Amino acid sequence: MSFWNQTLEIARVDLRVERRLGDTLRIVLPFAVVALMVFPLSLGIELATISRIGPAVFWALGILFGMQVALRQSAADTQERRDLHALLGVDPAARFVGRVLSGGVLMLAFLVVLFIAMVLIFGPTLPSGYWSTVLLGTLLFSIGLTELGTLAGELTAGLRNRTALASLIVAPLALPLVIGASQSLEALSRGAGILTWVLLMLTTDLALAVIGVGMARPLEEATR
Amino acid sequence: MTRIRVLFGVAAAAMAVGLWFALTAPPDALQGEYSRIISVHVPSLWLAFLAFGVTALGSIMWLWKRKQRWDRLASASAEIGVLFTGIGLFTGMVWGQAVWGRAWDWGDPRLTSTAVMFFVYLGYIALRNAVDDPVVKARRSAILGVVAVVQVPLVYFSVNLFRTLHQTQSIRPDGSTMPAEMLIAMLVNVVAFTILYVALMAARTDVARIEEANRETELLAGDAVKPPKLSEVGDV
Repeated sequence: MSFWNQTLEIARVDLRVERRLGDTLRIVLPFAVVALMVFPLSLGIELATISRIGPAVFWALGILFGMQVALRQSAADTQERRDLHALLGVDPAARFVGRVLSGGVLMLAFLVVLFIAMVLIFGPTLPSGYWSTVLLGTLLFSIGLTELGTLAGELTAGLRNRTALASLIVAPLALPLVIGASQSLEALSRGAGILTWVLLMLTTDLALAVIGVGMARPLEEATR
Repeated sequence: MTRIRVLFGVAAAAMAVGLWFALTAPPDALQGEYSRIISVHVPSLWLAFLAFGVTALGSIMWLWKRKQRWDRLASASAEIGVLFTGIGLFTGMVWGQAVWGRAWDWGDPRLTSTAVMFFVYLGYIALRNAVDDPVVKARRSAILGVVAVVQVPLVYFSVNLFRTLHQTQSIRPDGSTMPAEMLIAMLVNVVAFTILYVALMAARTDVARIEEANRETELLAGDAVKPPKLSEVGDV
């Protein structure tokens, strides 16, 4: 089986497990939307403020709940499954890429729904070209956060307080992604260029991909 | 142990000399007496960068050679790096409050990225504390040690990449922007902090070695309990 076939198979199995468990769509997403509603409620009826802070709240919740998506139960391999992969000769790098692929799809779906909810609840003013920038920013943000989540999930596999510990590792390292995503929208609102911020996210994604693939074998050993 | 005492003695003497230079250097025309904080702020952050670089080196060497001494080196250096980063952040905030009029500016990439670096290495320490098995601990933290160091050059060059509140480097290949007396005071403190780093590293790696030796000999819960023989078990 080629590298890419292994990758696609891992991603397919992950998504099937997730469809059965429903962590992302049935638990994390509704919770994130409830959290989104808490902000306007706590601010009162200042509609101008609510409208202005909407995108910032979206990215803040995107990183907090995105970590839950990246560290979902279906992305945590049991020891038996790891052993099975090793015995079948699955390339650890293919496992990493496959996991990023499935997690990225889920993260993108989660963020798009959350963004639509934010637009409906906060009613921000959207300049022209906003949606394509949001989609590009969300895509790059999803890939980077999933790469980080996959790395952190592997590092903390089987440990007590896994979710809290992995979040502590992911949150600070995800800052270039949050800055890039939020500043690209901010720049668009000011009529400024977004290339710098897109490049920041792209560089972060590529660096994490190189690290993830390069460290895949030591990571596999680390979880034994 | 004598070696560590000597190192700490030398470090204390060097710190005293550094303090004397920092206090006797002429004050800055604009910053006044607060400019003396730079003699602690800059060396502590330089040493933090060095410490995290040593952590990455120890991590790479562990992944390559699988010797526990590299893990001890990496973990000790990360802990000391966090300490120096904390000192650097605190002294920077005191200086910022006095000179800029505010202790923290969220729009400044150097401040924010340094705080992020601090939390990333706190995560590294938390990861180590969460694992009991020394080999598993070394494997996992070695990977994080390599991943985490990627941001260190970003923190250092953030003042050049994004020009905001924090000034750029005072010492450059084409010379220094500081007066000679202030520069000498700062460099003497860099040497003093480096000796302190070496002393702390020697002490921390020694403690880690003793901890590992104790772990190998100490009894775990249940070790003292032997299962009863079948002949000793009565009818149930």
